[in-house]
Amino acid sequence: MTTLNVKGYEFTLENKGAFSSLYFNEQLKMAICFAEEEYIPIDSFKEMFLHISVMIDKTEIKHLVFDKQKLRTFHQPSMEWYFAVWKPSMKSKGLISHYKILPKLIWFEKAVEAGKYEIFQKFSKEILNGITITYVNSIEQAIENSLLNDTKV
Amino acid sequence: MDVSYFKEQLQAKEDMLAQTTNFLVKIQHDLEKNNNELLLANKDIFDSISFAGLIQKSLLPDSDILKIFFKDASYKVIQQIGIGGDTVFIKNTNKGVVFGLLDSTGHGIPAALLSISGTLLLKELMTSMEIDNPQTLLNLLNYQLHKTFDNNKMSIAHKEGVIFSYSSTQNSLTYSSAKGRALLLHQNGEIEELANTKKSIGEQDNTEFELFEISITDGDKLIMYSDGLTDQFGGDKNKKFSRERLKNIVSKRSTEGASSLVNTIEEEFALWKKENIQTDDVSFMIIEF
Repeated sequence: MTTLNVKGYEFTLENKGAFSSLYFNEQLKMAICFAEEEYIPIDSFKEMFLHISVMIDKTEIKHLVFDKQKLRTFHQPSMEWYFAVWKPSMKSKGLISHYKILPKLIWFEKAVEAGKYEIFQKFSKEILNGITITYVNSIEQAIENSLLNDTKV
Repeated sequence: MDVSYFKEQLQAKEDMLAQTTNFLVKIQHDLEKNNNELLLANKDIFDSISFAGLIQKSLLPDSDILKIFFKDASYKVIQQIGIGGDTVFIKNTNKGVVFGLLDSTGHGIPAALLSISGTLLLKELMTSMEIDNPQTLLNLLNYQLHKTFDNNKMSIAHKEGVIFSYSSTQNSLTYSSAKGRALLLHQNGEIEELANTKKSIGEQDNTEFELFEISITDGDKLIMYSDGLTDQFGGDKNKKFSRERLKNIVSKRSTEGASSLVNTIEEEFALWKKENIQTDDVSFMIIEF
């Protein structure tokens, strides 16, 4: 599948790896990253986000959606890298919001909560500053939110 | 996918499980700690309210003063949380006795403060100005309460109630009532509902309460009660106790003495309320002439 249609917006496939795929819509300035396996090794995780970073430079992505619904294993070092290394440099590149869709599993949500707690202990809550992270239930909801926020701006 | 992928995933799963378990243990520990703190705080508050309730109870007047002038007299004050806004007022004068029942708005500690301040004001008016006219007492109490609480933007601090003045020299009974609830029970079981002024004490600065005079004969009983008694929910259909139920009880037991009748009403109230929470402060007083 090289295109994806959500709420009438067509997203084109930009990158497909063994563990994730990345789509982009020019009009919304939005990229959607799908986790394709239960677990993404840290090297592939970093590779994917670095690819997004390059795309932000090229296409002025404002909104990023990470659909993690297929994930069943949460990897703390990957999350730490995301918060401490990748995310802080993205605001200056123009990224405004990061929407995340978690699997509908209470234990997974708790694992994420536990991971974030560890990160805040290690780096303080200031690490949250910058790009707004919003947990949503669907890509449709992420699009609605981003349209609303773009209108406000 | 090769074996190394699954090995790494397995390790990540184990790490995730350990981290989440530690986090949940920490949450449980925090909850237990907070729960213990809340229990301690709750105990402090409860002990404080219980003690304040005892103080308020000890400030209630002795009904024996009324027995000097009347055949029998008794009352009950059952505050919703042990402390509250219902109170009974009894003070002898050089001509007889002034008595009544007052119900301050709300319940709990604020109502108790309002109740005690009202009683002190009434006593002050009677002692320093030698006033025993119930109309003058209510008018001045209204003025003083309105001035005090309205100036402090607390115009919801009102009272309802009824004050009687009995003159033993003239054998007359006069009263003034601010939405007060009172019944006159004759020996034959017939009941009169006593009129009142439909305004609260402290609500407006210019309220003029009416003065009423009633004639009484030996064996009549005067029953005063607060709305907490008749508004209590209970019974099989969770309805209000109601004025009609109260009238039925006292009418059927018109031959009972005041003290006995007070106990009967208390028992009937408890039976009606059962396990329901008490909705308001409750008070009632009966005088037997």
